[in-house]
Amino acid sequence: MKSVIYRAFSQKEAKEYDVQHQEASQAEAFVRAFLKRSMPHMSQQACEDQLQRKAVVLEYFTRRKRKEKKKKSKGLSARQRRDLRLFDIKPEQQRYSLFLPLHELWKQYIRDLCNGLKPDTQPQMIQAKLLKADLHGAIISVTKSKCPSYVGVTGILLQETKHVFKIITKEDRLKVIPKVNCVFTVEIDDFVSYIYGSKFQLRSSERSAKKFKAKGIIDL
Amino acid sequence: MATLRRLREAPRHLLVCEKSNFSHDKSRHRHLVETHYHNYRVSFLIPECGMLSKELKNLVADTGPYYFVKNLPLHELITHEFIHTFVKKGSCYALTYNTNIDEDNTVALLPNGKLILSLDKDTYEETGLQGHPSQYSGRKIMKFIVSIDLMDLSFNLNSKKYERICWSFKEKKPMKFDFLLAWHHTGAEESAMLSFFSKYQIQEHQPKVSMSTLSDLQCPVLQSCELRGEPETSCSALELLDWFGGVFCNAVLNNEPDNFISNFCCPQPSTVVAQAHLCTITGFILPEKISVLLEQLCHYFDEPKLAPWVTLSVQGFADSPVSWRENEHGFWKGGEHLYNFVIFNNQDYWLQMAVGANDNCPP
Repeated sequence: MKSVIYRAFSQKEAKEYDVQHQEASQAEAFVRAFLKRSMPHMSQQACEDQLQRKAVVLEYFTRRKRKEKKKKSKGLSARQRRDLRLFDIKPEQQRYSLFLPLHELWKQYIRDLCNGLKPDTQPQMIQAKLLKADLHGAIISVTKSKCPSYVGVTGILLQETKHVFKIITKEDRLKVIPKVNCVFTVEIDDFVSYIYGSKFQLRSSERSAKKFKAKGIIDL
Repeated sequence: MATLRRLREAPRHLLVCEKSNFSHDKSRHRHLVETHYHNYRVSFLIPECGMLSKELKNLVADTGPYYFVKNLPLHELITHEFIHTFVKKGSCYALTYNTNIDEDNTVALLPNGKLILSLDKDTYEETGLQGHPSQYSGRKIMKFIVSIDLMDLSFNLNSKKYERICWSFKEKKPMKFDFLLAWHHTGAEESAMLSFFSKYQIQEHQPKVSMSTLSDLQCPVLQSCELRGEPETSCSALELLDWFGGVFCNAVLNNEPDNFISNFCCPQPSTVVAQAHLCTITGFILPEKISVLLEQLCHYFDEPKLAPWVTLSVQGFADSPVSWRENEHGFWKGGEHLYNFVIFNNQDYWLQMAVGANDNCPP
């Protein structure tokens, strides 16, 4: 700001106007004294402020901050997950014998869950526990289905998504069976349970929290 | 309201009448007789005849034996031995007994090697065999038809198809039925069936024959060239069929005013016949035998006879899953599928084929 008010004459201008170039400090002191004499009612500070030339803002614009995208705590969307192929099982690993230990583990887990599977345990209790249990590793077979070619498929359950069971059969083939319109059989020791797939269309993680009501028909 | 109206309506029936001559090249009589597989009752009426000729009597007595097996598991019908022994050599017919076509599962074996299963919805979903829904389903499909070609299977017994059918019949959903069996063959092994199924309770039956002579019967007058009948000279095929039905079930056809049961009377113009011979054979009758009977009745007119015509009527099983060839047969309010030949003395014939509601038009 000061450079606007106090600007030194160039050499050429000084010679032309026959003005003696003064020192910067001398010039400043002169201006101050002149102002004081011209405007006696204004204080020193007011003069200084005027000279400052503060800008007065007429309208107030706030710069809109870009809203931060809501951080998804779920991580990746389904499309991205499929692209990443995190949950695919490579063909070299698709061997039935590899998953038999998983099945043993699952049997042990169910036995623990039901506090030991004695022959006289009540089937209702097993059913109630199975509804909330995780079925990965169980040997599942299709008993009834609206599509005849699915009937009879048996294997170890590898993955359970909302609508589908992914099963590996004894012939090392990965089969994808839709849950809808199918009845599955799960066998543990000597207890055979039938799962009606149409009522079971939930992710396994959500199923543990869901209360099942006896509603609707079980006809396929 | 609509339901009441629908209930009061008579179910639809189809009657196909045709006329032709036996010596005609393109006459379809043999084909139609042979493709009507499951025959329950055969009756014939010969007017102006007191006693049957010896040949006819022998033929009637020889309408072969048929067999009845209880609780035969279905997988026995697809074994290689069965196919090789019975299906390939001759014509083998089988039908489940005492199963209603509209409610239960029904199985039939046709002579061309096809095994037809008519299954209800739950059974079809459990067997896991490929089939198609029945033609006579409403909005909700309750019946499915599975057709297995045994001749095709027998060529390759290690095929996946055969293994799957075996697995389904033996382990997945074993089904047992009471079967009526009959086998037509040209060899001499008479009791092959009995020995094959000796493990199960197999019984041999002969068809029941009943003969009667009716006297003073009013018969309609027919002209072989006029199917529809002339108003004063002859009766139409439709009236004739109605009249036959009355005669065959021994109804009183006098149109008595106080008869509560029937007020049907013989179609006019009619003549009174002194005596007529009526013969009925009941059982699981082979089409080949019926064919032979028809031939013999044609030859009835080789010698001059008083009778203007003779008639042969064949009724099929109401619970058979097929009517002619592989046309699907169902039961709505009645499950009839029958045909009737009227044979004239100049070798002309009339053929009437009748089917009920859940049936296609006869061929």
